[in-house]
Amino acid sequence: MIRFSKVSKWYGDYQALTDVTAEVKAGEVVVICGPSGSGKSTLIRTVNRLEEIKSGAIYVNGQDIHAPGLKINDFRSGIGFVFQSFNLFPHLSVTENVCLAPVRVSGRSKGEARDHAMALLERVGLAHKANAYPAQLSGGQQQRVAIARALAMNPPVMLFDEPTSALDPEMVGEVLSVMKSLARDGMTMVCVTHEMGFAREVSDRIWFMDRGVILEENSPNEFFTAPQHARSKAFLSDLRSH
Amino acid sequence: MLGIIQDNWLLLLVGQYPKGPLGGLALTLILSVMGLVLSFPISIGIALCRTSPIRMLYVGSTVLVYIVRGIPLVMFVFWGYFLVPILVGHSVTAFTTLICTLIVYEAAYLSEVVRAGIQALPKGQVEASRALGLGYWKTNLWVIMPQALYNMVPSLISQFVSIIKETSIGYVISVQELTFAANQINSNLLTRPFPVFLILAITYFAVCFVLTQCAQHLERTITRKRSPKMAHPRSMSNDSVLEGQ
Repeated sequence: MIRFSKVSKWYGDYQALTDVTAEVKAGEVVVICGPSGSGKSTLIRTVNRLEEIKSGAIYVNGQDIHAPGLKINDFRSGIGFVFQSFNLFPHLSVTENVCLAPVRVSGRSKGEARDHAMALLERVGLAHKANAYPAQLSGGQQQRVAIARALAMNPPVMLFDEPTSALDPEMVGEVLSVMKSLARDGMTMVCVTHEMGFAREVSDRIWFMDRGVILEENSPNEFFTAPQHARSKAFLSDLRSH
Repeated sequence: MLGIIQDNWLLLLVGQYPKGPLGGLALTLILSVMGLVLSFPISIGIALCRTSPIRMLYVGSTVLVYIVRGIPLVMFVFWGYFLVPILVGHSVTAFTTLICTLIVYEAAYLSEVVRAGIQALPKGQVEASRALGLGYWKTNLWVIMPQALYNMVPSLISQFVSIIKETSIGYVISVQELTFAANQINSNLLTRPFPVFLILAITYFAVCFVLTQCAQHLERTITRKRSPKMAHPRSMSNDSVLEGQ
């Protein structure tokens, strides 16, 4: 469903991604983990072209996403993206946040979009906050609204960029549980996260990244019990020592 | 001083009107409102150029803004006075000259207000909007401008206060606004410049003071609305995700 082929990216002189080649299959949940600055977020952001790449190619559903003539906005609306810092629109109510793309990008009627938004808010447990504004919600609630907003265009794939890293510890669970329910429903998901419990329980594959390279691709069971690469071993033992 | 006001209040308020052209404070306010309203859309355009990744637009708009900000308004009034008739091919009224000048001048200043309003928003707002599939224009229309314009209302009122004072420069090309009216009164009385110009100053001050107070009040309201409210005690009721934990 998503295929990276020799993807490289530089920030000035710094090489953020080096020849990344990997594939996410339909229905798969992939967790990308690794130390800070390893290129996890950069990699996930190249998929909807929030970051442009220097060389290589990325295919989504077989479509080269850098092909000339690609309608970038239609393409992006087919990929759900959840940010670390939620990025809800503070001037719009919860429902309006969720309805914005369906109404302004797909041209759906407001009534239709609103019905769909209510169903999505129900799914993330926030139907009762439909008329609230983002500033009136807790961090966990905001992130759940952000997930509903990303689902509003019925994307076949969802990308999560450290969705729980900006949350107070007691709010991490509610966001993870929404993500788990999405995974159970068969959504294709790529998650950059430090939540190893989530990775172990939900993911089909784990990609371990360091310095812009995917060092290890493994099943969660193998990765946590018998990591292959020396760096992943060090990373996991650092995690356990806390 | 009260005597001067009693004899001349109508002249200060509306100039020669209805016997002659409208002038005085009324004309000052009309000039100011027109200056603000007409320059505002242009200033949004300039601000978008100033924040544009397209180099030519950025450089062009930046040069324009720096030139205008580095030259006194009265120079523009003189240029407008001689240049506009050449450009349009016939003579124009002093009123038109002043309006054209104010539009150019204020568009440059307002564009900096608009630009600051745009750039003050977190970068994540644009990213979130683009990631949803909204293009450049839709992102500006539905996400950026509604937030930026709302936040910049107090600055807009401050700029309006500046415009009101700047219209007094119309005096040098005989636009019959408030300063012109006061000068007429002074010419009639000959011996009492101090009270006449004190009345002029008080009039400007009163109008501008009221507006500045409005700006401050709005600023407080906006700050209050935009700051996150105290985190609500987490209510589990109706929240299926929290209840399920």
